[in-house]
Amino acid sequence: MLLPGFDYLDPKNLEEALDLLAVHKEDAKVLAGGTDLLVRMKKGLLAPKVLISLKSLNELSYIKEEAGCIKIGARTPLADIIASGTVQDNARALSQACEKIGAITMQHYRGTIGGNILQDNRCHHYNQSDFHRSGHQACHKNGGKICYARENADRCNSTCQSDGSTALMALGAKLVLLSKGHERTVDLDKFYTADGIMPHDMESHELLKDIIIPINGARSAYRRLAYRSAIDYPIVCAGVLVRPSDSQKDRIDEARIVVGAMGRAPLFLAQASSSLKGKKLDDTDAFRKAADASMDSAATFAVHNVGSTLEYRCSMISPLVLQGLKEAASEK
Amino acid sequence: MSDHTLIGTRMPRVDSRAKVMGKAKYTADLKLPHMLVGKIKRSPYAHARILNIDTSKAEALPGVKAVVTGKDTEGVKWGVFPYTRDQQFIQIEKARYIGDEVAGVAAIDEETALRALDLIEVEYEELPAIFDPMEAMASDTELIHEDFPNNINIHVNIDTGNVEENFEKAYYIREDTFMASEESYFHAEPYAVVARFDHEGCLEVWCPNAGPHMKSKPLSNSFKIPLHKVKIKKIAIGGAFGGRSEICPADYICALLAKKTDKPVKIVFTREENTIATRQGHAMITTHKTGVDREGRVLARETTCYMDGGAYSSTGPIATSVPFLSMEQAYRMESVRYNGYRIYTNKPIRGMIRVHGRGFACGVDTQLDMIADHLGIDPVEIRLKNSRQPGDYTSTKSYVSSCAMDETIHKAVEKSGFKEKWGKLPPFHGIGIGTNSVQTGFPMGIRGGSQSFIKFNEDGEATVMSGVVDNGQGNENMLVQIAAEELGLLPEDIHLVNADTETTSSDPGSYSQVSTFVGGHAVKIAAENCREKLFKVAAKVLKVDPQELAAKNRLIFVRDDPEKSIPIKKVVRISLLNFTSVNAEGGYWPKVDMKREWVKNPYGQMCEAFSFGTTIVEVKVDPDTGQVEVLEATAAQDVGYALNPLILEGQFEGSIAMGGQGGMLTEYHEWMDGRCINPTMLDYKVPLACDMPRINNIIVESIDPKGPYGAKEAGMSIAMSAAQGYSGAVSNAIGVFLDSFPLTPDKILAAIKEKETRQLKRENADKTEVN
Repeated sequence: MLLPGFDYLDPKNLEEALDLLAVHKEDAKVLAGGTDLLVRMKKGLLAPKVLISLKSLNELSYIKEEAGCIKIGARTPLADIIASGTVQDNARALSQACEKIGAITMQHYRGTIGGNILQDNRCHHYNQSDFHRSGHQACHKNGGKICYARENADRCNSTCQSDGSTALMALGAKLVLLSKGHERTVDLDKFYTADGIMPHDMESHELLKDIIIPINGARSAYRRLAYRSAIDYPIVCAGVLVRPSDSQKDRIDEARIVVGAMGRAPLFLAQASSSLKGKKLDDTDAFRKAADASMDSAATFAVHNVGSTLEYRCSMISPLVLQGLKEAASEK
Repeated sequence: MSDHTLIGTRMPRVDSRAKVMGKAKYTADLKLPHMLVGKIKRSPYAHARILNIDTSKAEALPGVKAVVTGKDTEGVKWGVFPYTRDQQFIQIEKARYIGDEVAGVAAIDEETALRALDLIEVEYEELPAIFDPMEAMASDTELIHEDFPNNINIHVNIDTGNVEENFEKAYYIREDTFMASEESYFHAEPYAVVARFDHEGCLEVWCPNAGPHMKSKPLSNSFKIPLHKVKIKKIAIGGAFGGRSEICPADYICALLAKKTDKPVKIVFTREENTIATRQGHAMITTHKTGVDREGRVLARETTCYMDGGAYSSTGPIATSVPFLSMEQAYRMESVRYNGYRIYTNKPIRGMIRVHGRGFACGVDTQLDMIADHLGIDPVEIRLKNSRQPGDYTSTKSYVSSCAMDETIHKAVEKSGFKEKWGKLPPFHGIGIGTNSVQTGFPMGIRGGSQSFIKFNEDGEATVMSGVVDNGQGNENMLVQIAAEELGLLPEDIHLVNADTETTSSDPGSYSQVSTFVGGHAVKIAAENCREKLFKVAAKVLKVDPQELAAKNRLIFVRDDPEKSIPIKKVVRISLLNFTSVNAEGGYWPKVDMKREWVKNPYGQMCEAFSFGTTIVEVKVDPDTGQVEVLEATAAQDVGYALNPLILEGQFEGSIAMGGQGGMLTEYHEWMDGRCINPTMLDYKVPLACDMPRINNIIVESIDPKGPYGAKEAGMSIAMSAAQGYSGAVSNAIGVFLDSFPLTPDKILAAIKEKETRQLKRENADKTEVN
């Protein structure tokens, strides 16, 4: 299938890019690696008039430590993140997540971290050809009023299958968003709307500049299940973080459990996470309880729309969270 | 066979360099002057009456050159057999599945053609659709085809007699039902076709095919033009696996558009079209009832299989028979009764596929494992007790000449360490065994034989003509290897002209595993005949008897005095100067029972040779997630004689990927009201290279008395034993016999949990008893 026609704009620097976004707004889409955007365009799911390429914006490709944080430029290739020592040391969950995205060739030549975070939600009733979607009513995400994944749903239940976002939310990451003459920083766990049609709380003239991950002695891990070992989205995944207390090294001061590929956004499970505060780092029993609690909370969000069976995906939350917690807690 | 120079060697394929370097041209690459883009309008409804089609808006769109509908087809119906002609190339009255062809468009570019499709207004009246074969069979009133009561498309009944009596004699009987969902091929090359009519009214067609002559005949019938005016041209092909065996409605539509516009037209399928609108493998529900004696020998077996055939017949009679035949060839049985039902549903059309029914083959073998378990013998023993032997007749009366089934079992067992591992592996670690057999060809009537022509050029090089097509399995190399060997030339001296209905003679095609056995054989005979002519001339020059001569490395020489030689090139020139032709022909027709017919008379000699094999698989299952890690697969296959071990190993590995790793673990379709949810490569989980286990290939040679050099079918059938090897290994790992395929992690996990619950209950019951 051919790509629909569009104007291709190639700004030479950040300022130019923001200018173009301010002019074209909804008519424009930002093209980074294209592994999500171009596939959707070929399927006829969207037809932007303008593509603004980030090809020349090398200034958005970096990994640096600054003020107790890791800063990663939005256009940084996934392969650079995987290779980064500071990410491996201070944000292992992200490193593990990036290794699972697409395949090695995509990590090297195409995929960027910004693109992975901003990839659209997916649903096996929506991510289909025009032909597939014809012959029955349009769903919410396709401009209609029904949901094929959940009966009588008043909104879109498409699923966020981003590996990167799940890991980053566990890491307590923030996003820096730019628009002409404006910059704002938002916590990743506040970045999502409650609707799968437009899952990200972001204006059409905004550009993701970078991702900020605090360096605070926390340990993290990322686990996911898929059918294949590459070129596959997760059907369920978990990002976890445990930060030992400064005073008592063997106790947990803060834990963050995030379950992905189960809802419209990665799900930060506040209760399950806080249940680990004060627990010992080798308290497997507490981990198991937190994992089960994660499963109970996260499962209510899930619908059958990304393959496998819903029952199986839900039942896998607990083992993945548990494996993640054990791995993170035992990290040296 | 040591006196061969090329045969039996690991000669790299003549076509591989062009393919891996992207230089080989496939149908979609073809560009002809003034060529138009064709697109097909398909039904978005699973079952709907077509009330009206209005093409006026589409025709008015600038750039649209032609629109065709069922009205342009004169109601031509297609079916592989006279009694299965149930499919119109463009539907007139009703659409029977989501994807059924309702119109075609030719336009100056793809964008225009797609817009034109949207402008074709089809008025449908939706009809109740049936997706479940058992429901379809139960219905007297909801008929997908009016002439087929209860939606039964094909019923194959095979009965050797004495089944009841032998069940009476049996020491142990069990009956089990196995299910498998449908599967797709995912050819590397999505379907494509280019068609044009030339100035002489000849129809030229380029398309992936499993036999060009199988395409030309229906096109000749449909367009009412003689066969010599239908030229199916040779082109590189990216896979068939049973899914390219017949004419495709797109071939006809493309030709019709070409006729109407008087321009070449190209149709290229999307990946989705290739999945839903070519063919799929049948979903099956199979019940095996087997009775054995005390030692585990099968005395009686009754098998009933319900196959979800989709909307049309396709190769129905063959597809309904082959799963049974593969089983009856692999195993001895005193008596057997088979009832196979192929049932119409409002789903995509099902045809032949390499694995021939994972629910069927796995059912037979899993049940053998269950019986062995009951009798306290191991899976290897029970197979050896029932394995096919040379000199046997199959249940349907085919004589089996070469057969090394037992040798494949022994060699696979030894290499995999099965005996040391069986029953001794740690928890959730398992090993399983499966066997296979497949026929080398089947009765094809007028198209059962192959003929080849060889002409020498004055430079001493040769052109070989053969109807054999190469879908990717290496047939072209096989022909070149044979011709070069027999003519004493180097592979690069041979120019192969093949799979072109204008220049090459009739051939059975490559879908009944018969290319080497019949087509290769014909080339061998033609080359021998040609060589004989050269020897006659050379003998005069060298002043010896032709019997004393041999040919190798472009030379003809005296076998016992190799110094006495003459270049082949020189012999050719001498022949031509002496008014002697240096061309020859050769043909091969397998001696099969021509009265054998799939439905009416399924008895008699099926083909001249059968292949046999064994696959053993070792796995580890993660009890928390149900995910399977495959540690090793070992395939031993009786191939008759290995013409080229390098190519064979590729076939072995492809079979394990398709039948085992993909077919048993990840590949299945998901549906919503007849709509295929996962038609693309992202969503249908074909395994990747990095998913594959270590594979041990063991070539076993039984030297078939009829096959060229002793060769017969080789490698394709491993897909079946691989399926069972995987299934057996997972069952062994978790201690539960699984009966629903593929074995996805959710099913494996559910089986583990169910077993744990059962054990817990038993333990509790025991405790209560003690109390």
